[in-house]
Amino acid sequence: MKKLSAIVLFLCLAAMLFAAGTQEAASMPAAWEAQGTPLADVRIRQALRLAIDMETIVDELFEGMAQRAVAMTSPGSWLADGLDPYSYDPEKAKALLDEAGWPSDYTLDVVYYYGDQQTVDLMAIIQQYWATVGVKSSFRKLEGDLAAQLWVPPADRKNGPSEVKWDLAYAAVAALSENEFYDRFESTASNNSSIPWQSGLDEKVQATRATADVEQQKAAFKALQKEINAHMYNIPLYHQLSFIYTSDALDIAGSTLGNDQFSFEKHILDWKIDRADGMLYTNGGPMEFYEAPAVNPGLYLYQELLFDKLVNADANLTPTEGMLAKNYSVSPDGMQITFELRDDVKWHDGRAFSAKDVVFTLEYLIKTPGLNAVALNTFKSIAGAKEYLDGKASSISGIKVNGQTVTLTFSTLDPNALLTFSQWPILPAHLLAGSNPVTLQQNSFWQKPVGTGPYKVSQTVLGNYAILERNAAYYRSGNGNVKKIFMHASSENDSNLVKNAESGRIDYAWSKSVADAQSIGAIDSMTVNPVNIRYTRVFWVNQYPHSANIK
Amino acid sequence: MIPFIIRKVLVLIPMLFVISFLIFLGIELMPGDAVDFMIPPDALATISQAELDVLRAELGLDDPFLARYGNWIGQVMKGDFGYSLQSGVSVRDLLAQKLPATIELSLAALVISTLLGSLLGVVSALNKGRLGDHVLTVAGMIGVAIPQFLFGLVMIVLFVFQMELLPVGGRMTPGNEAFFQRLDHLILPAIVLGLSMTAGVMRYSRASMLDSLSKEYIRTARSKGIPEWRVNLIHGLRVAMTPVAVLIGFRLPILIGGSVVIEQVFQWPGVGQMFVAAVRSQNTPVIMMVAFFSVSIVLTASILVDIATALLDPRVKLS
Repeated sequence: MKKLSAIVLFLCLAAMLFAAGTQEAASMPAAWEAQGTPLADVRIRQALRLAIDMETIVDELFEGMAQRAVAMTSPGSWLADGLDPYSYDPEKAKALLDEAGWPSDYTLDVVYYYGDQQTVDLMAIIQQYWATVGVKSSFRKLEGDLAAQLWVPPADRKNGPSEVKWDLAYAAVAALSENEFYDRFESTASNNSSIPWQSGLDEKVQATRATADVEQQKAAFKALQKEINAHMYNIPLYHQLSFIYTSDALDIAGSTLGNDQFSFEKHILDWKIDRADGMLYTNGGPMEFYEAPAVNPGLYLYQELLFDKLVNADANLTPTEGMLAKNYSVSPDGMQITFELRDDVKWHDGRAFSAKDVVFTLEYLIKTPGLNAVALNTFKSIAGAKEYLDGKASSISGIKVNGQTVTLTFSTLDPNALLTFSQWPILPAHLLAGSNPVTLQQNSFWQKPVGTGPYKVSQTVLGNYAILERNAAYYRSGNGNVKKIFMHASSENDSNLVKNAESGRIDYAWSKSVADAQSIGAIDSMTVNPVNIRYTRVFWVNQYPHSANIK
Repeated sequence: MIPFIIRKVLVLIPMLFVISFLIFLGIELMPGDAVDFMIPPDALATISQAELDVLRAELGLDDPFLARYGNWIGQVMKGDFGYSLQSGVSVRDLLAQKLPATIELSLAALVISTLLGSLLGVVSALNKGRLGDHVLTVAGMIGVAIPQFLFGLVMIVLFVFQMELLPVGGRMTPGNEAFFQRLDHLILPAIVLGLSMTAGVMRYSRASMLDSLSKEYIRTARSKGIPEWRVNLIHGLRVAMTPVAVLIGFRLPILIGGSVVIEQVFQWPGVGQMFVAAVRSQNTPVIMMVAFFSVSIVLTASILVDIATALLDPRVKLS
């Protein structure tokens, strides 16, 4: 914290010195004036990024527990080589601002929607960094209907004017697939409120969805990243890490840990716990209800363990072998997927699982508001989905059942279809049929959900704890001894996590909080495992003409 | 006595109407609505306004303000308190789940603070100006000043982490669900909440006792040769307890919402936690029900205080 204060103090002084030395701006009209906002000028967007020392912020504010971003994509095989990192260079930033004719009387209007202290600190630091290059900014936290304030696109996607009121919006993008990072750069995207149509950009975005071949997808994403990087259509800041906490009492039998915001094969049936009663302690137990796997299919451990998916995924969230499907095949053009279902699966209430459940789930979840964009896109890509949604058909024609075989025929290619089926579970038709998919979460089913997974609900004391027990009728077995899973009731941000870990009542848990990771790291019996996730913090830059903020 | 109570209860009804309207209005004035909290901000970017509107309509959030209030109050008068917007569970069931936990904790704390507070207050008054009085006065000030969450955390560090005597939180553990089996869970939160309320009762009863001991009827009693302990306890204490009873009466509402912080620190699954979550997520039916309950208890407590005052203080007559 002392270091943080030192940075802020230093930046304040630098800002004052700069202000003292500022010369009168030239009176010639700047090139951006015709475009209605200085942010339409790429040099200004680049200057804003060059003025921020993300390395120092990552080291000091996040104590190294984050990663500086050069693109939406995290480092790895999906990230292009040779992207300009726009490393901290205040002199260059000032030169670019001068060159572009930055109006010194302009105050950037920056919005954010997270209320945590770290966000507030980050905003304060960035404000100072900008001040040192002569850019004034004011920050405000949005409240209320965020979608309407942040993501409404203008009617005219080329010339604007903007429908939103801010200059820059600080936001996080949590992505399951790379497309979630990049689809919104397309000029037709329903949530693109800030980036006007640009020649060639839409085509580059579309290219990422045009193939089912992973190598071709990677090439398309890399070409797109280069385009975005060169024009700085948005300003990536940092990639957040996730931390998985394990206790000394737990042996995860060599399993690979991955992105726990989603489901992946943990081989939990092989885990060994050193407790006489075979109880494994975790958090995320239901406060008021078990969360339906619609917006988040695997955020909580119970979502992952109560329900099975058609296809399994590994720790990198790459679809692997079948799960509820004993095998599956994808046609060469990617337009058809056939699932051959297992016939030895039973729901936790004893009823047999069948193809009927699969059809029901697809036709049900597609009507659930808030269904994650990846899943929604997959379901909507199935032939006949539009007619079904418009009420012109009573079922989705592209779903065909033959005994225990389900065949999906797509009308448009969805490269993420298998990913969807490895994350969104199958729900029981016999318990949910006839209920309203719009109010899925309000269904009493979520007080005690029934799935097909390796663990089933044993006891629930809402707001206190819930217990899952091993499903003896499960179709797979393992060598582990975790008989029961005790979940302390908590939301995703669990303020009692450290306390419970300290008292020896956490064997496995995860969070994205740097503070949690530091505190739990100090407990002798606990291990902190940092994991890369697709979670990037950015500034969206409003490049549409909007009411000038010149004072 | 009976007409007095009836009159008081009749005044209650219009007050409840006005208060419920004001609370409903307060929720309305908060930015956003329940739907904005159901879908995380990052996910909002990929949901169309039309989809959100469908959800709003299903949850009855698209009607104008007055229509929604009218519906709500109409249902309440029929005994139906509605359903949680988040989980679809009926508010009555939610209260049935959470209220016992809160009442258990608050009653324990109320008993601790009442007994301990009155006792220490009287001891302090009888030892006025001596060391015991000073020690208790300072302790009382510390008790009033120290934040509950800090006191709670210190107690957890001491009794859970250092001495390993008590569980870290929660109301029960599997297999130990009967009251006496889970009593160890109640000890820490009840003591922390109780002690933090004790200081107020103690200061109050000390002042009241001193006031009472300086009255003429005490001098009269002494002059009649009544033993000192009888003077203090029978004549002094009985009158001194009147204002203390008023204070305790007005603390009854904490049975509903007064233990929010303690519930958070000790992971106690009570109404306080539920209320905070409901306000955060603009879960109107839950907020209204808890607020309504709380207000009713405040008003009922004020009637009880009037009655208790009359019973304790022979100078007060109900008329």
